[in-house]
Amino acid sequence: CMAHPRRIKMVAQQIRREVGEMLIKDKVLMQAILPEAALGADLYLSSVTTISDVEISRDLQVAKIYISVFGDERGKEIAIEGLKSREKYVRMQLGKRMKLRLTPEVRFIADDSFERGARVIKLLDRLKEEAERKERGETIPDRSDDEDSDFDDDDEEIIFVE
Amino acid sequence: MMRKIGGLRGSKRRRISKGVTHTRASFNNTIVTAADARGQVVSWFSAGACGFGGARKSTAFAAQTAAENAIRTLIDQGVKRAEVVITGPGPGRDTALRAICGSGVVLGLVRDITPMPHNGCRPPKRRCI
Repeated sequence: CMAHPRRIKMVAQQIRREVGEMLIKDKVLMQAILPEAALGADLYLSSVTTISDVEISRDLQVAKIYISVFGDERGKEIAIEGLKSREKYVRMQLGKRMKLRLTPEVRFIADDSFERGARVIKLLDRLKEEAERKERGETIPDRSDDEDSDFDDDDEEIIFVE
Repeated sequence: MMRKIGGLRGSKRRRISKGVTHTRASFNNTIVTAADARGQVVSWFSAGACGFGGARKSTAFAAQTAAENAIRTLIDQGVKRAEVVITGPGPGRDTALRAICGSGVVLGLVRDITPMPHNGCRPPKRRCI
C-alpha cells in the first residue's frame, strides 16, 4: 500500500542522514570504501564519498541510494564496489537504527551528475568569458589543451550549431 | 601587556602561499572558511550567506556557490596550493572539493576531521518517523 508523499520524503531524508553518518563513522563501511582505513590511514583521504540523493519507492520497500565519489578512477571503482558488496549490512544497520515496519531493500547506484554539472558550468563560464572578450575586442587564446585530466571525458566533441 | 598574535585587521592584501579551506558540511547548511596554513581566517562563506534560504540552503549547488566564493578570496590573496578539511556529513562534502578543483588552485591534502568520540557523551535521542 502506498504511503503518503510527505512520509516518503521524510523516510528518504532520514535514510540519507543515517547512511551519511555511517559512511563517516562506521568502521565496516569505511574499510569498504577506503581499504587503507584498515591500515589506519583514514585521516588523509584519497577519495571522498558522499550521498547525492536517496530515492525510495512509494511503498517504502526499495531505497535507491545515489553515491558520488570524488577521486581517481581506481578510487571510484573501489568505493562503489565496496559499497555494493555491503548492501545487506547497510540494510541491517538501517533496521537497527530506524523504527520501520519493513526495512527497505538498499541499492547503491553510482552517480556522476555532479561531474556532469560541473563540466557544463565550466563550459558555460568559458563561453561567457569568450563572449566578453570578443566584445572588448581582444583575441581569444587557444584553450584546446586546457582541459582537466581529472574527469572522464566521454563526450568531448561538442558540436556548436550556428 | 601581551601583544596579540596578529589577526588580519588592517591590510587585507597579504600574500599567502598555501591556504586551507575548512568545510563544515551539516545537513541543513554548509559553511566554508578560507584560512592560511596557520589557521588565521581570511574569510568565510556559507550557503545561507550566499542568498539561499530554507530548503535550498541544504543543496549541493548552494554548497558549491559558497565554496567558489571562498576560493575566490583565497586566490585574491595569491594562494597557489590549498588543503581541504571536511567536517560532517552533508551535501557540501563533495562539492567543495569540486569547486576547488575547477578554480585553478592546486589541491593539496584532503582531510576529514569529523569529531568522533571514543564513546563519550550520550548522543541525542533518535528521531522517530
